[in-house]
Amino acid sequence: MHASAFAQEKVVKIGALYPMSGRAGIYGMDSVAAAEMAIEEINAKGGAAGYKLQLINTDDKSKPDYAVTVAKRYISDDKVNFLFGVVSSAVGLALTEVSKQEKKIFIGTDHAATELTAQNLQPYYFRVANNTFQSMAAGALYLKELAQTKPWKTIAYIGPDYAYGHAQIEELKFNLDRFGVKYQMVGEFWPKLFEADYTSYITSIMQAKPDIVVSGFWGGDTVAFIKQAAPYGLFEKSLYFHPDAGGNYELLSAMGDSLPLGLVLSARHHNNWPDTAMNKDYVAKFHKKTGRYPTYSAEGAYVGVYAIAEAVKKVGNPNDSDALVKALEGMKFQEPEDPEGFVSYIDPASHQMVQVQAIGVTMPNTDYPPATRMLGNWKIYKAEDLLPPKEWIEKKK
Amino acid sequence: MGGKSLSNTTLVLLIGLAVFALVPVLKTTNYQMLLAAHVLVWGLFAVSFNMLFGVTGMLSFGQALYYGMGAYSVGLCVKYLGAAWFFPGMLLGIVLAALFAWLLGHLIIRVSGVFFTMLTLAFGQLGWQVMFKWYSFTGGDDGVQNIIPPGIFANKVVYYYLLLALVGASLWFMGRLNASPMGLILRCVRQNPERVRFLGRRVRRNQQRIYMISSLFTALAGGLMSGVDYSIHTDMFYWTTSGHVILMSILGGIGQFFGPFLGAAVIIVIEDVVGAFTEYWSLIIGLVMLGMVLGLPHGLMGGIDRLKARFAGSGARPARDGRS
Amino acid sequence: MDLSFFVVQLLSGLTMATFLFLIASGLTLIFGVGKVFNFAHGSFFMLGAYAGYQLSSVWGQSFWLSLVAGGIFAGVLGMLAEFLFLRRIYGRADEGGFQILLTYSFILIIDDLVKLVWGTEYKSLAKPAVLQGAFSFSGIVIPRYNVAVILIGLAVVVAAWWFLNRTRAGRIARASALDREMLAVLGVNVPMTMTLVFGIATALAGMTGVLAAPLRSVTPGAGIEVIIDSLIVVVLGGLGNFWGAWLAALLLGEVNSFAVVFVPKWATLFSYLVMALTLLFKPEGLFAPRKVRRV
Repeated sequence: MHASAFAQEKVVKIGALYPMSGRAGIYGMDSVAAAEMAIEEINAKGGAAGYKLQLINTDDKSKPDYAVTVAKRYISDDKVNFLFGVVSSAVGLALTEVSKQEKKIFIGTDHAATELTAQNLQPYYFRVANNTFQSMAAGALYLKELAQTKPWKTIAYIGPDYAYGHAQIEELKFNLDRFGVKYQMVGEFWPKLFEADYTSYITSIMQAKPDIVVSGFWGGDTVAFIKQAAPYGLFEKSLYFHPDAGGNYELLSAMGDSLPLGLVLSARHHNNWPDTAMNKDYVAKFHKKTGRYPTYSAEGAYVGVYAIAEAVKKVGNPNDSDALVKALEGMKFQEPEDPEGFVSYIDPASHQMVQVQAIGVTMPNTDYPPATRMLGNWKIYKAEDLLPPKEWIEKKK
Repeated sequence: MGGKSLSNTTLVLLIGLAVFALVPVLKTTNYQMLLAAHVLVWGLFAVSFNMLFGVTGMLSFGQALYYGMGAYSVGLCVKYLGAAWFFPGMLLGIVLAALFAWLLGHLIIRVSGVFFTMLTLAFGQLGWQVMFKWYSFTGGDDGVQNIIPPGIFANKVVYYYLLLALVGASLWFMGRLNASPMGLILRCVRQNPERVRFLGRRVRRNQQRIYMISSLFTALAGGLMSGVDYSIHTDMFYWTTSGHVILMSILGGIGQFFGPFLGAAVIIVIEDVVGAFTEYWSLIIGLVMLGMVLGLPHGLMGGIDRLKARFAGSGARPARDGRS
Repeated sequence: MDLSFFVVQLLSGLTMATFLFLIASGLTLIFGVGKVFNFAHGSFFMLGAYAGYQLSSVWGQSFWLSLVAGGIFAGVLGMLAEFLFLRRIYGRADEGGFQILLTYSFILIIDDLVKLVWGTEYKSLAKPAVLQGAFSFSGIVIPRYNVAVILIGLAVVVAAWWFLNRTRAGRIARASALDREMLAVLGVNVPMTMTLVFGIATALAGMTGVLAAPLRSVTPGAGIEVIIDSLIVVVLGGLGNFWGAWLAALLLGEVNSFAVVFVPKWATLFSYLVMALTLLFKPEGLFAPRKVRRV
């Protein structure tokens, strides 16, 4: 962990900030494990342009002000070449400010707030995981197709009462309108983040009788909501639809048999899709290293490290931030989450990784224990249809 | 507290200011100056909180309301009106805080003890909810970014000295207040409000005054912070921020003027050092805190005094700032 | 709003209220007896949940055994914490502040110990088979498990009443809230009473943790999340007033439940609003502790 061990070698220092405690701790743990895995792989092959990669991580406690302090320490004391990571979008927004001031490239691997690659974009920020807009655009297309086979009219939304929860429904509505889908909102419910008791929300939603319940939770909140809603029969009466974080593996594994079948979910990476050698290999290696299957956030960190290595290879050193920015813009590379015949790339205009989205349905599957349900019956959405259009970005400015 | 200890307070303040003034000269990395700036801001926050708690005996669990108010006045002024409004925003924050404290004080100072504490918590959390939910104006929990002080104050060293000067002046003012007849009355309010009433002093009016003064300096701390980090966040209004400053004060020693400042410095440095080398920071900080509570019954400052007394060989009990 | 929906929503509020009360009851008990504010009360709730998970999901024991064992586990740890640490700061100047600091350090320590033992993944606990599914009659649906929760809440109220009023230990506990010196003179081991009460309170929290686990997720960080809501219940109920806490929890549960229906956007605001308004008009809480005559 200390620079002295590497004193004789040329090193690319990556300053990571992941939560390692509290509710989001699982995302941080898996991200760090996957990033270290990528670094071992790259270093075993001789590193990037003669440089070895090295990761330092500090628990950001999901607190923006603390994260800012740590990032400044990374830049001034630890002399990192890249800022890296972050699960919370609020932390991401605070850090992109530091990145801009200090002209240090910040590779975002998880946080999903669209504005980071839209109205708040600054030259030194890149995101290698998809944003909520992409998830919601795919979600809107799914709902459009669904209307043809199984007509539906009404939607109710329930999501945590903070920026992430609000962004999702706003972006879903925008995309439904954009794709010409007719719908009626019959209720919006805003429990606080980490709410423990959803009973009154559930009975209230059931009273509204929506055809589709769109959910915007993540992590333990999804677990609690589904557990509490199941005995009320919510999942028989309405279609549960959760296209950004509903299909996260930590949720599938925590719920086991109590996860109802037929829920329509997605995540930013799936352990069982795509069925490519690269994805299988990535999942198997992670399992071998940690003894558990990765949740979605790990893949972002894994890809992020490779993006750094590629950029350093192209430029020849990790110090010239502006040249590295040029190298990253438009960069193409194969990721575990790329299906056959597609290669992800970084959109030079928005610095956003352009990826394919897959939405699936819960079904029995015991290949990834302790989960007993995984997603299947995939519907795949083309990357190009999912980016925010210009008028949306303009409107937000 | 007699004349002698007043000069002690001034002396400690001057030495402290000199030490902090040397930071930009002696620092080896910019980060050290950032850390010093954080200590100054939180130190000011903690000392003004302690004017309420340690001196007057009013445990507010809602000072984050004023801290956030100070920060958001600056942040929102800069966001909507431009960088030139940085300092007017800071002034606005202070005025707003004093006004709010005056209004709220009328409502909540009627109750005492734990009920006062809970009312301050309730209003603090209501304030947080409003800022959190008012997305169109405050940006909600995304916070406000890109708050850069205008002109030469965009230079970090210049801003640091401004910060130091303002914190120093505020501490000096509060130190004077603490040693003044009003400070004496406040301490009596803490110990025996009935007697203060018998002596013809109005308890509530004095409590109201100190609540305003404390809140006003808290808002100043918040405003200054926005120029240190360049970004602010609704967490600043959240109860954990109020809790943090309570911990700092108790750890440093609420019986002494500089105790909370010392507590702030220690907590900030420990959090940073421990956070940097282990993800199990929570366990280590918890154990350190546990050890300090059991080993230092009067806070860090009390411990230091005891050591001083031992080295002076006097064997006398350390003076404890007007406490019986 | 038709009648059946009204009843459903009322029952939702009741479920919420029961959890609020079960967590807060221990807090108010400790405060009532020993004037101790245990900031780490939620951490004992979390410890109970993890212990229940370990027994039921990992070791395959029955839910009911896990419920009891989770309570005992948290209770024993609570007694140890009181005996080894809290006891040493009683009577110190500014004791209240040091209580916060000390119990806050418990939160930090317990959080990381839990992480060391169980990791950060979300853990789950299955409902017992008899409590799966829901009762349903004329449009009113209520999950069996929620009914069980409400009944257990009532049982705790009755048991606590019996303990405080009908047992010697309970009478001593009530008396020690009033005059510790006198009790000591009478030959009662007051410190041991306090340890016992602390143990009962944390055991209640631990048991509630197990009870809540099948409805929630067992995650790190849960300790700090429940504490503010419990604090509101305790203060609204009149500090240390067991029955007051029950009624305050009912009030908060129902207010929240109907706020979700009528003002879904602002529902999260109501707990604080209720507390602020109540304390402004009734500064001592809804049910102030009875002033007891000194003989």
